[in-house]
Amino acid sequence: MKRIITILLFFFALPALAYYNPGQPSGFVNDYTNTLTTEQKQALENKLVQFEKETSNEVAVAIIPNLQDETIENFAVKLFEDWRIGKQGNDNGVLVLVAMEDRQMKIEVGYGLEGALTDAQSNWIINQAMKPAFRNNDYYGGLDGAVSQIMAATKGEYVPGESQKKTDNGFNPLEMVWFGVFIFVWLASILGRSKSWWAGGIVGAVVGGIVGVIKGFIFFGVISLGVLIPLGLLFDFIVSKKYQAGKSSGHIPWWIGGGRGGSSGGFGGFGGGMSGGGGASGRW
Amino acid sequence: MKKTLIILAVVVAVIGLYAWGIYNKMVTGNENVDNQWAQVETQYQRRFDLIPNLVNSVQGAMAQEQKVFGDLAEARTRYAGAQTVNEKAEAATQVEGALARLLVIMENYPQLKSIETVQTLMAQLEGTENRISVERKRFNDLSRDFNLMVKRIPASWFAARFGFGEKNYFEAAAGAENAPEVKF
Repeated sequence: MKRIITILLFFFALPALAYYNPGQPSGFVNDYTNTLTTEQKQALENKLVQFEKETSNEVAVAIIPNLQDETIENFAVKLFEDWRIGKQGNDNGVLVLVAMEDRQMKIEVGYGLEGALTDAQSNWIINQAMKPAFRNNDYYGGLDGAVSQIMAATKGEYVPGESQKKTDNGFNPLEMVWFGVFIFVWLASILGRSKSWWAGGIVGAVVGGIVGVIKGFIFFGVISLGVLIPLGLLFDFIVSKKYQAGKSSGHIPWWIGGGRGGSSGGFGGFGGGMSGGGGASGRW
Repeated sequence: MKKTLIILAVVVAVIGLYAWGIYNKMVTGNENVDNQWAQVETQYQRRFDLIPNLVNSVQGAMAQEQKVFGDLAEARTRYAGAQTVNEKAEAATQVEGALARLLVIMENYPQLKSIETVQTLMAQLEGTENRISVERKRFNDLSRDFNLMVKRIPASWFAARFGFGEKNYFEAAAGAENAPEVKF
């Protein structure tokens, strides 16, 4: 009950912001304290990977050493924001956060699962599944029990592959410019790498032809052909030359699509979900 | 002469394109702030729906504490009648104060804590308070972003013409930073 008062009072005081990001998630289970053994971690991880495949719900477990004077409620919200657990649009993520030195835990529920996993249920899970086991130093048992309960509560809420909502910000001229830059880089990277010197002319001709058709004027089309073919040829010439020069010197300019690194394999991060402070917290 | 015209046309086009972009940005920002306020209100509503349940389950045991229940009821009525954002925020702060007082008083009734309904209600209330604080913080963040956008030069030259003004932050009412006082 003191905690509620603390939260109520919390609105009126400026909190000392001591949140720190413990790191990028390397999987569904992130243990920064080596509390779990490798096998235990793997067992939990497999369970959660399988659950994500079946339901698309993302349940993340994070064990951190301490909160550094931040409240666990704030820490959980911010970590959720950083990791973006759950699928974008569905917000079907859950974060189980455990702070070892502070002996506190929190179940933070994404917006989309607040109906399935209520605060009362989260509170029940913390008090019945986590607290007793944690008090006996059985951290794996507590987490496994909590994860099972969470899975049971949120199962069937979402179906994998469900269409994801996308917010439409409307037409933005600046985005048009970016789109233009993107097309430019894309074309440059293809034409620069191609051996031919004439492909740019063809691209110019095709674009010219399309412009002509859209505008509906043969006259206009001919003019755009006349302008765009030489432009395309020039473009191809320049980027090809640059690319060759870049290849020999080992540095390809960014505008011909150089400088992009490969993505790391394995866990690809969470899906972009949001939470708003739902769930429950407790101490052991 | 012709050169001047071309330069003028380019300048006008650049300004026009900028105004277009900034207008759309302001519309989006404005909507985001409004939407975030709606989120705050949703959580307020949730709290108000929980309060009667809590009151009903503890009132019997706390028969001599009628004042705090009266305060709570009054604050809720005031919130229901509030029209503007500022009125609502003020009424909500009042509810908060009364609720905090009730919770402090409840500390003196340990027998209440063992009742399961009360426990569940407390967990729900706790979650709701936490949600409110999160949504309010996000509201303030969005308001700040919006204010930064409309107050900075050169966007500020356009903002007033487009009819966008500064947004209010959510601020706790004066005196609310003091802990609730309990007298027996």
